[in-house]
Amino acid sequence: MANIRCVNIRKSYGGHSVIENLNLDIADHEFVVFLGPSGCGKSTMLRMIAGLEDITGGTVSIGDRDVTHLHPGERGVAMVFQSYALYPHMTVEENIAFGLRRQKVPQAEIARRVQHVAGLLGLESFLQRKPKNLSGGQQQRVAMARAMIKTPKLFLFDEPLSNLDAKLRERLRTEIRKMHLDLKTTTIFVTHDQLEAMTIADRIVLMRAGAIEQQGTPSEIFDRPATRFVADFIGSPAMNFRGCVVSRDGGSVSLVAGSIRLEVPASEFDGLQHGAKVEVGLRPSKMDLAAEGDLNAISGKIILVENMGSEAQVIVDVDGQEMSFVTKAFRTLEPGQPVSFSIEPASIHVFSKETGRSLRKAG
Amino acid sequence: MVRLIRSSLARIFLALMVFVALTPILWTILGAFKRLKDIVTPVPKLFFSPTLENFVTILQNPSIRQGLGHSVIVVGASVIIGALLGVPAAYSLARHVRTLKGDLQFFVLSLRFMPPVAIAIPFIVLYLDLGLYDTLAGLILVYLVTTISTVIWLSVPAFERVPKEIEEAAAMEGCGPGEIFLKFSLPIAMPSLFGALVFTFVLVWNELLLALTLAAGNATLPVVAASITSLGKEVPWGVINASTVILVIPPLVFIGLLMSFINGMMKPARR
Repeated sequence: MANIRCVNIRKSYGGHSVIENLNLDIADHEFVVFLGPSGCGKSTMLRMIAGLEDITGGTVSIGDRDVTHLHPGERGVAMVFQSYALYPHMTVEENIAFGLRRQKVPQAEIARRVQHVAGLLGLESFLQRKPKNLSGGQQQRVAMARAMIKTPKLFLFDEPLSNLDAKLRERLRTEIRKMHLDLKTTTIFVTHDQLEAMTIADRIVLMRAGAIEQQGTPSEIFDRPATRFVADFIGSPAMNFRGCVVSRDGGSVSLVAGSIRLEVPASEFDGLQHGAKVEVGLRPSKMDLAAEGDLNAISGKIILVENMGSEAQVIVDVDGQEMSFVTKAFRTLEPGQPVSFSIEPASIHVFSKETGRSLRKAG
Repeated sequence: MVRLIRSSLARIFLALMVFVALTPILWTILGAFKRLKDIVTPVPKLFFSPTLENFVTILQNPSIRQGLGHSVIVVGASVIIGALLGVPAAYSLARHVRTLKGDLQFFVLSLRFMPPVAIAIPFIVLYLDLGLYDTLAGLILVYLVTTISTVIWLSVPAFERVPKEIEEAAAMEGCGPGEIFLKFSLPIAMPSLFGALVFTFVLVWNELLLALTLAAGNATLPVVAASITSLGKEVPWGVINASTVILVIPPLVFIGLLMSFINGMMKPARR
């Protein structure tokens, strides 16, 4: 068990810098997800912690031991790869036990531990097979067993579920989470799938272009996105964005764009001067059909109703631009109808046009 | 209907190609069992009373037996040494060399550009001075240029196909570079490497020119076989055919053994 500390991490290939002065602390037992679009440096970060990638500058310590220049095998970490990376010329049992055999652990002990992890992951009946005779999900379980059996201080997962189909992905996601609840090993999990990150993480570290854009619990990231980028990246269906002008009228503050007029409590935001141009973000899932006399109602004409089973995403033409909201009461809605939907002031996000940062006051 | 015609035409064409390709070989094998009078007839004979005379002549001929021995030693040594040096070199090129990788690979390939004659004459001079002329060691040395460069050239892609993550996973278990090569990359690339070795073997097994110019006294099998054709006025066709068959058998056996070995081992993993 160990906490991880990354200080002023830099990484460059040749003269091209991909990560610049990144600082990150991970507490013992924490399950942290590195999330971000491809090319944001999340995998590079993980591989530097694993020791598979040289660190250009800065230090990494695991459990208060500086491991910056240690060989991957000496860091006490285990990794699960996206492509499983099983040894194709060995049986499942040999794959799982390789690390222990190499360390000359006694045979009986190895057999006991292999049985144990195989039992946990449901691999007992596959132990004598070669990896190529297993399905993708089984192969990834073997890779997890191979990582678990070493009882590492730190688990690293590099997009382990990306090659699996949706159903299996969900199941393995739950298994990984359960495994973490049992073992409580500090874990770093890399993914580009925001839903995966939301469901599995204690804390999400959202990265963009080699820097941390925001970190926090899934709820913090979802409900209080620090920037427009985070707001746009997290959540499905994606957030609606509208350029609005601030209109101050006495004590109340309104955000105006065409026929849209949203009233927000002025005390919760910074920098809403009269006439300022801002970007407003509205989550489809936080909006619903408006009742008579609702505050902050938006009206438009329905373009499309996308049935998602228990609810539907309704795409609406508002002043010539599309917006969407989600509702359970969609059975009576038809394209072409006029519709009116509303949002609570607490769920309205306002971002600066220039910096993209949220204007909501902290706390 | 049109499809039926088209597919039967394709089959006929295929059969014709196979016939063209295989007939000379079949004729050679048949010829090896014929007496001379059955061979030199105006009308080719398909049915005849077979004889082992030709093989007896060949195998009783000491120069052929010697040639076979020399071939096995020279080819065996140059392929084995070529593999021992070439395979690790290829691995380093595939995995650890970044700058100059393309140039190095091209240099290795360029060793195969020069016509053997161009090598042969300077080597005669060198070998005469070094006392290596007409020795098996000298011939092995020259063949090493061929075997090492061919093995390297064919093995680099074999190692490049080994997934990098597997080596990284092994590194995570604490394996150093040498252990990763021996326990992971080498066994995983093995089926492709065998292909490279077989190709290299056949290449030097059939080599005539360098063997003729550098070691005529310690002749290898191709040299001996070539000399039989100039035995005299009456060309002993049966004997030539029989020696061809004998010349072809070792590579065939070798390839067959390797194939069964490869099939017994793992096949490359499916992704």
